[in-house]
Amino acid sequence: MSTSPMTRKLTPLLVSLAIALSACSSTPLTTSTLDQARSDYVAAQSNSAVSQYAVREFNEATAALNAANNAASERESIEKVDQLAYVAKQKIATAQEVARARKAEVDLKQSAQEREQVRLQARTAEAEAARRSAEQAQAEAEAARARAEQANAATQSAQAQTQALAAQLAELQAKQTERGTIITLGDVLFNVDQAVLTSGGQATVQKLATVLRENTDRTVLIEGFTDSTGSTAHNLELSQRRAEAVRSALSQAGIDRSRVEVRGYGEAYPVAGNETAGDRQLNRRVEIVLSEPGKPIQARR
Amino acid sequence: MSPRYTLPMLCAVAALLSACATEKAPATADVAVSRAAVENAAQAGAAELAPAELLAAREKVQQASRALADKDYKLARDLAQQAEADAKLAQSKATSAKATDAANAVQDNVRVLREELDRANSANQ
Repeated sequence: MSTSPMTRKLTPLLVSLAIALSACSSTPLTTSTLDQARSDYVAAQSNSAVSQYAVREFNEATAALNAANNAASERESIEKVDQLAYVAKQKIATAQEVARARKAEVDLKQSAQEREQVRLQARTAEAEAARRSAEQAQAEAEAARARAEQANAATQSAQAQTQALAAQLAELQAKQTERGTIITLGDVLFNVDQAVLTSGGQATVQKLATVLRENTDRTVLIEGFTDSTGSTAHNLELSQRRAEAVRSALSQAGIDRSRVEVRGYGEAYPVAGNETAGDRQLNRRVEIVLSEPGKPIQARR
Repeated sequence: MSPRYTLPMLCAVAALLSACATEKAPATADVAVSRAAVENAAQAGAAELAPAELLAAREKVQQASRALADKDYKLARDLAQQAEADAKLAQSKATSAKATDAANAVQDNVRVLREELDRANSANQ
């Protein structure tokens, strides 16, 4: 290669130029700020929110990083590379923040819609609950009305039963006493000196049986009495047999024997003197004590 | 050395050197832009939500102003560009923090409503 005089002349100049350039081109290929910017860039690149929401900002960051990379590859000053790398790093971070903000705004809209849906569901549920509770209240009111009607009917039936009993007892010429309701069957209901009920006695006992059937919470005590004619033992035995005859008749009419107690008192407890035939007839009798509902009969004192 | 060649060569050297030497054009516009960016960031709430970035931006704007006064235009431009990048980051951090808080608040709200709804539903069954 031949060297012209011009070239020889230029050589010192070129050397000085090279020296001048080397003063600001002693830069290494990278700096810590550039390294940081590059690694931030990789992170931003792999963030899908950035590519979705911050395209412009990411493009600006890319341009800034390219400028820094070019400065580094052209071995410009550390200061210049650092300056460009710093700006690139901040722009990359800005792109990340912008993406975060816009994603949050989108999330906010979705959440707000979701909130409206949940509120709607809540209102629907409230309405449903209100409807159910109204239905329940209505059903309860219906049930209460039915119970009241039933109770009313029961009261009416009880009243009717009480009235019927009162009428039946009136028919039996019953008397209210401390021991309970007493029905007195006179001796005309028995054959003389016998313990067999006459047809009139049978009819009376049937009425009593009806009362007992309709008032199952009551029991009876049947007490037999005689006048003082004849021996005491005979009288006791006769009064006992007559009381038993009433129990038998009740039993045949379907009244359980456990509800019927029997006592023969003979000539004891006269209700009249024994001097006249009329008074003696009053003493010959069977008294039937009807208990109060659910209570035992007090014994004769 | 022939003057015919020396002058253009010196010009070329000066041009090459100027690329990494102090710039001669004032960076007034750059400083103004970064100052505005700092104001925008402050208005977006960066003082509370991105204090470090906002402070860095403010300091760099001040340094850039001083460099401008000292006619160190390259330094002024560099600092102004850094300040603008810092301010924009501060602003976007503040914005994203507020947006994230708002989104979280509504999400919490939805969660509470759902829990209430679930309780109401299970109470009704």
